Amino acid sequence: MAGFDDVLGWVKHQVASRVPKADLDQRDPDYIREQLPGTWLLASLYFRADVRGLDRIPAEGPVLLVGNHSGGNVPPDTFVFTLAFCSYFGVERPFYQLAHNLVVSAPPLGWLRKFGTVAANHENARMALESGAALLVYPGGDYEVFRPSWERHKVDFGGRKGYVRLARDAGVPMVPIASVGGQETALFLDRGQWLAKLLMVDKLLRLKSVPISLALPWGLNIGDLGGHFPLPSKIVVEALDPIDVDGDDDIIHEKVEASLQAGVDALAAERRFPVIG
Amino acid sequence: MRLERRVVVDADRDAVWKRVSDPACYPEFMANIERWETITDGPVTVGSRFTVHWKVGSVPVGGTVEIVEFDHDRDLAFNGITGVTVRGRFRLRDADDGRTKVVFRLAYEAPGGLLGVVADWVAARQVGRIMETTLTNLRELVES
Repeated sequence: MAGFDDVLGWVKHQVASRVPKADLDQRDPDYIREQLPGTWLLASLYFRADVRGLDRIPAEGPVLLVGNHSGGNVPPDTFVFTLAFCSYFGVERPFYQLAHNLVVSAPPLGWLRKFGTVAANHENARMALESGAALLVYPGGDYEVFRPSWERHKVDFGGRKGYVRLARDAGVPMVPIASVGGQETALFLDRGQWLAKLLMVDKLLRLKSVPISLALPWGLNIGDLGGHFPLPSKIVVEALDPIDVDGDDDIIHEKVEASLQAGVDALAAERRFPVIG
Repeated sequence: MRLERRVVVDADRDAVWKRVSDPACYPEFMANIERWETITDGPVTVGSRFTVHWKVGSVPVGGTVEIVEFDHDRDLAFNGITGVTVRGRFRLRDADDGRTKVVFRLAYEAPGGLLGVVADWVAARQVGRIMETTLTNLRELVES
């Protein structure tokens, strides 16, 4: 058993050592500017995206943007919102996004760091906010992003509320970002938390889910590690009214989830059909 | 991409210029405008700066613009400083019977090489419609 634990520890160390340290200087405004037309085409033509309420985000200074997360390992809401933020406030305004360790350490996704994507941990988040940047977080992470498609309009952070302390410690306002449509880009069947435990990737790779879905081009897609080809679902994102961080963590967390749920419900009510919108 | 739209307003140039030269009027007649903020203080003149975003496609597009030409009753031109490279102009000229011909020109160029060119072409149709609606709104505002 000791040998098995050693192997487990070695694998954990190997994975952890490959997660790049957050270097905020890796964000490259010129690179982002060059990519905006391509992402605008994809967002406008393929996803028929609509982003609203950006005027509710403070025009300058650090701010914590808290969103509900959808779309599995190819989350269109993230790139649509990133496009909108950079377009509205300019690529000059520092803006970072937290992502799972596996995302930032995957060599083919190295370009994400030029967009300001850093590994999701408290230290990186604190560093980004202290630098005066806007920071986008999805507290629900891999728990929420792989929820079944029939729960597509349910906001559920899985009890994670560290983001409240993060905002309070940094003394920054918090703006909820509601989005719909992402969970219709594939048919997500099960989070596969039991599979994650069975394969022990929950300990090795911090993966709490090994999702099971039906997605292009794979058909039955287990794990979604290779991503998938998203269906052209209409994506709608709305920035909601800022929320004060004064008070008890649990109460603020409930307030954020309630605000997001109300926002998602309102956006969902506008949809007539799945995918088409 | 260079686009141009025209309209004839049943009013003299002075009346049209009063609207075109007043930034406070822009949210009233500019179509698809998402954000309009005055950056510089004082009366509008060459060097005045504004933040302007139009909803084009999925997101607000625009940035900071600076007035580079302010020729009373004739021309108002602006250049984009941040965001998409853009140059715009309102050109006022006399038409028959004391009316005024208003020409609205926009030249813009997205970065990003070939994808930028494609984006310019795709956006042109909607931008053209925004310009047409803007001029219609301006005409109604001045004639009302």
